Amino acid sequence: MNMLRVWPIVWQFGIGGLLCLVGIWAGLRGGYLNLHIREDRRLLVILIGGYLLLLVLMAVFTFWAPYWSHGESL
Amino acid sequence: MIAQAIGGRLDYAVMLTYFIAVLGFGLYFGRYTAGTKDFFFGGQRFAWWLIAFSCIATVVGSYSFIKYSEVGFKHGISSTQTYFNDWFWMPLLVLAWIPIIYYKRIVSIPEYLQARFDQKTRIMATFIILLYLIGYIGINLIALGRTMKTLLGWEVMTGATITAVAVALYVYAGGQTAVIMTDLAQGIILLLAGLGLFAGAIYHFGGFGEFWALLPQEHKYAFSDFADPPKFSFIGIYVQDGLANTGALMLMHQAFIMRFLSLKSVKDSRRMVVAWILVLTPLAAIATSCGGWIARALVNTGELDTTAEDSFVKAANFLCAPGVFGFILAALTAALMSTADSLVNAVSAVFVNDIWRPYIRRNAPDKHYLRVARIASLAAAGLGLALVPVFMLKDTLYEAHGMFTAAITPPVLTAVFLGILWKRYTPMAGFLTIAGGSLVIGLSFVWPDRLIGPFDFGMGPGSYSFMRALFGLLAAGAIGAAVTQFTKPRPDTEIKGLVAGTQTDAMREFKGGEPNRRPGRKVRLAAHIDSTLSGTNTIVVPPSALDRMAAEPGDLLYASDVRWWYGGLRSVHVKAAAGPAPAPGKAVLNLMHISPEDAATAHFTDGQEVVVEKTM
Repeated sequence: MNMLRVWPIVWQFGIGGLLCLVGIWAGLRGGYLNLHIREDRRLLVILIGGYLLLLVLMAVFTFWAPYWSHGESL
Repeated sequence: MIAQAIGGRLDYAVMLTYFIAVLGFGLYFGRYTAGTKDFFFGGQRFAWWLIAFSCIATVVGSYSFIKYSEVGFKHGISSTQTYFNDWFWMPLLVLAWIPIIYYKRIVSIPEYLQARFDQKTRIMATFIILLYLIGYIGINLIALGRTMKTLLGWEVMTGATITAVAVALYVYAGGQTAVIMTDLAQGIILLLAGLGLFAGAIYHFGGFGEFWALLPQEHKYAFSDFADPPKFSFIGIYVQDGLANTGALMLMHQAFIMRFLSLKSVKDSRRMVVAWILVLTPLAAIATSCGGWIARALVNTGELDTTAEDSFVKAANFLCAPGVFGFILAALTAALMSTADSLVNAVSAVFVNDIWRPYIRRNAPDKHYLRVARIASLAAAGLGLALVPVFMLKDTLYEAHGMFTAAITPPVLTAVFLGILWKRYTPMAGFLTIAGGSLVIGLSFVWPDRLIGPFDFGMGPGSYSFMRALFGLLAAGAIGAAVTQFTKPRPDTEIKGLVAGTQTDAMREFKGGEPNRRPGRKVRLAAHIDSTLSGTNTIVVPPSALDRMAAEPGDLLYASDVRWWYGGLRSVHVKAAAGPAPAPGKAVLNLMHISPEDAATAHFTDGQEVVVEKTM
């Protein structure tokens, strides 16, 4: 595995994950993000889901898509 | 660049028609601007989807199509990596920053810095932000002028002047409402043009697989190499764009602050960011970069000969029929106008709220400030235009603004970031984070090897313009943290509502009572204009409607036209009051009693059906 291609994912989603945690902590602190409220729980799921969606997208275009066969219909 | 103008008369006619339509569209919305709240924040009444389109139209500047296509031609799909950093800032944005500024009624970054720190920090930030914004207007105008010279053969100053006048006119007339409504049109146009071009290319090549096969292997990765090449390494782009620029966009860019404050409620910011960052941003990434990818594929088939710089224009010209290419030109113009209008309106807001109102004329009628705001909009466009020949004469000044931006963005961003998250962070630390951070970054231009060298990941001087952001963030953060240890923080009572953990205090202050967050539904009622409610900003609704909304008397409500596509343009914020319960055996009348002035604000007529919902 070419680690020069892996490090960008580790950095982007590592630091990005920390930023997300800081933001969620900022919401939970003081009770503004109230997990007893359904729409707040849904927001948390969306924030985590967005993170995972981007992670999957970047992984696809790092480990799989570059090796799709030439000229083959997708 | 291309030596001669390309495109035909039909293309120019399409572009001119679009230009006039946008100008007329913007001028039309002047009727919705009655005060400074409308001029700067569109009356805080817009729907999430409208603001999402406005944000994407502002992010995509006039240079975006040219710049990202150039990078796409050279490096492939990794040209989009700058667009995929935004999501990581979303939790902080929707859970802390937007609630703080919205509920504390903060209208500008300098105002936040005064509330959180002190007056001297506000004054310093005001001048820094004004210089930053006006310089950016100039840069956008010169970028468009240069593009127009390439496309149409016009002098740079001619294209810049025509655009500046058009933008100044509709911002003067319609303020933020005109900006948001024209941005909707411009956002749609620029996405349609870019994505249409991509679809046309896929059709031309015979399918996505065939197109994909024409790209070199190294062009098919989402990211560039970690630390190579120095001017397009992942780490350089990540620290400069993903951390410094995106953070600045979210937390300290006045135009975006004004967008967030234009939302009808904080709750809508959640939907807005999902639409903006997860849906529209990836589409914009493809729209702006695809010209370069297409040009690369066309070069590989031998159908096109181009340089990276001209790749977007040449690929578009190759694929588009006469008239359609004019649509692409219109998209380029749209990208410029939708960025410049936001900056012009932002300069006006900072000037009025942070200079005129506190220092030159206090407690004047709102009409006075509206007049000043309009004049300031014209002046902002004029100053930006005046910078165009200056930037043209000396590229070093153009670069100087770039250096200035690089120098001040990390310190102001760091001060705001720590100000939101760290209660202990002191006013002196906030001031020195900005002043000291800017000074240290300034010194990095004098001794780049000594100061930035240790942070360059072995890439050398070629990477310094990117890695300066990392150095700046770390230096400003270290100054802020160190000074905080030796200085006195403000008492918790003075910063209530301004730091993370106190958002609910800000909500209470905004409402003037305990927030009601019980989930409720929207209700449809018929408006009944009732002059007895005059001056109360209250609507009277049947108790059954309050029940359905899970609202109580005194809660904040939002009444809007039933036609969703108005996006909140015809709406009003009011307080709830319960009407008398119907007598036994009598039918409930679904009436909403509203004062004549609130009805006029929302453009409601007597008997009109409206949608009412609880905001807090």
